[in-house]
Amino acid sequence: MLNSVRFARNFGEYRVASLSKPSSHFRNLDFRRNCASRLTMEPKAEATQPHFRSGEMGFGLDEIHSLISGPPETGRNSFTALLELPPPQAVQLLVKEDFPAKHLPPPIFPSNIGLIDRASKRSFFASADNPPASNTILLASSSMKVEIVKQEPTDSQPHPNSASPAVSDQSPKSGKRKEREKKVKESNKKSKKVVANEASEDGGKKLPYVHVRARRGQATDSHSLAERARREKINARMKLLQELVPGCNKISGTAMVLDEIINHVQALQRQVEFLSMRLAAVNPRIDFNLDALLAAESGSSIDNDYMGMFTPTIWPEGQINGNRQLEYQQLWQGDELRQPGWSREEDTPNFITPETSHLSYDSSANSAPLHSSQLKMEL
Amino acid sequence: MTTTHPKNPTTHPKNPTTNPSSVIRTRFAVRFLHAMKKLNKKTPPSRRYHTIRAAACASMASAVGPRRAWSRAILRKIRARTLHDHLIHKSRNHRLITRRKSAGLRGNPRDQEEVGFRQEDDLRGLVPGGEGMGFCRLLSETAHYIKCLRAQVQVMTNILDHYSSS
Repeated sequence: MLNSVRFARNFGEYRVASLSKPSSHFRNLDFRRNCASRLTMEPKAEATQPHFRSGEMGFGLDEIHSLISGPPETGRNSFTALLELPPPQAVQLLVKEDFPAKHLPPPIFPSNIGLIDRASKRSFFASADNPPASNTILLASSSMKVEIVKQEPTDSQPHPNSASPAVSDQSPKSGKRKEREKKVKESNKKSKKVVANEASEDGGKKLPYVHVRARRGQATDSHSLAERARREKINARMKLLQELVPGCNKISGTAMVLDEIINHVQALQRQVEFLSMRLAAVNPRIDFNLDALLAAESGSSIDNDYMGMFTPTIWPEGQINGNRQLEYQQLWQGDELRQPGWSREEDTPNFITPETSHLSYDSSANSAPLHSSQLKMEL
Repeated sequence: MTTTHPKNPTTHPKNPTTNPSSVIRTRFAVRFLHAMKKLNKKTPPSRRYHTIRAAACASMASAVGPRRAWSRAILRKIRARTLHDHLIHKSRNHRLITRRKSAGLRGNPRDQEEVGFRQEDDLRGLVPGGEGMGFCRLLSETAHYIKCLRAQVQVMTNILDHYSSS
């Protein structure tokens, strides 16, 4: 895996993927990325060949394996991309490679050459698992795939439509990878797809690459692809914000929406200030009558859970007086609160209404100083 | 509160309020009341408004936790301010603050052209910690910040109502 990292660095990728464990999905991305970048920098391709040749001799042919068994569109893309290579260059590339198993069938058609070349290239970046014997079989079958690809270039179209809505969903969520792809033949339709869907499955490991393909008729150089991916991320977030801020749904145009958002944030901040001013004015006469506060708040907006969480710890304490113990209780409960605070409190629903009713009953029954101290302890 | 969260409190019999906004509201309420109680004893009425506002922000930030950039920024500000107050080492704080600001200004210039200079800068000024992020991150931080501000306003309104009524 380090070799692929090195390779990526050679080709000036955006971010170095943190490659943890090899999987077929990841390998798919790997060779796609490699092939894409290789195609973008063809003159450098030969120069960099020795790099990965040196370290990756024994790399198995998982790439090819996954090529066959993986999603068909991946293979299609890589094949069609490779078809662009002029045959002599492809042959040159092929010849240069040190193929671990030399029992390749002699390539017959230029497409096969390119295909085999691509498949063999991919093998360099796979983790060395598969025996090289599988190479020939995979190559042969992959050559067949090229024919299919050439005959049916339209097949690439339906896939991305299903995946393009996934872009906006996936991009903010899962691990992202960025890939640059060279423009394929004009006849081939490109499709927008996020391979992060499949690729991010492996062990839930987050990888910083987003695989993005250009839509038809759009520029496909790396910069515009990157920009487009970023723009889509931004649009997704703007949509979220639009839902959050009331009245923003009807407005179209980023500038107006942003204005609305800014106004909303300012209004909320002003509201907080206003409320704090009122609280400051009201405060002196309040001795924090907490029982009414807690009961009412639990009824309205705040859930009962936190109260329930505290009450079972309080009642066993019995009658506790004195500031020191009160502060100790507060501190302890503060810590207890803080710990589940940073992670979701899943266990709180267990303590619900019975405790609260108990609390209110007891609070009314007990003597005033005791119950106020107990309620203070709750907080 | 118009939450975008799918869980509806009323339809979930087991976990009545486990959506993140109510969790945050709870935490914020507890901390805020804590702070208010402490404030009640100490501060004179003159500075009370400022301290309460600061306490609201601080308790909100600590309720959210260090996961979010804006809450981290608020906590940093508070700590820096307390350092400043206690140690009176102005030079150190200024250095910290200026270093942060210079690091933050590497926002993507392309974004500004895309969207509008004024708005992005305004937004950065509004959201705490907004200086040091890219535009995309700024948007997600803004979304979370809006949610938490709303929760804060609700809780404070509730508190106020109870105090003014009782």
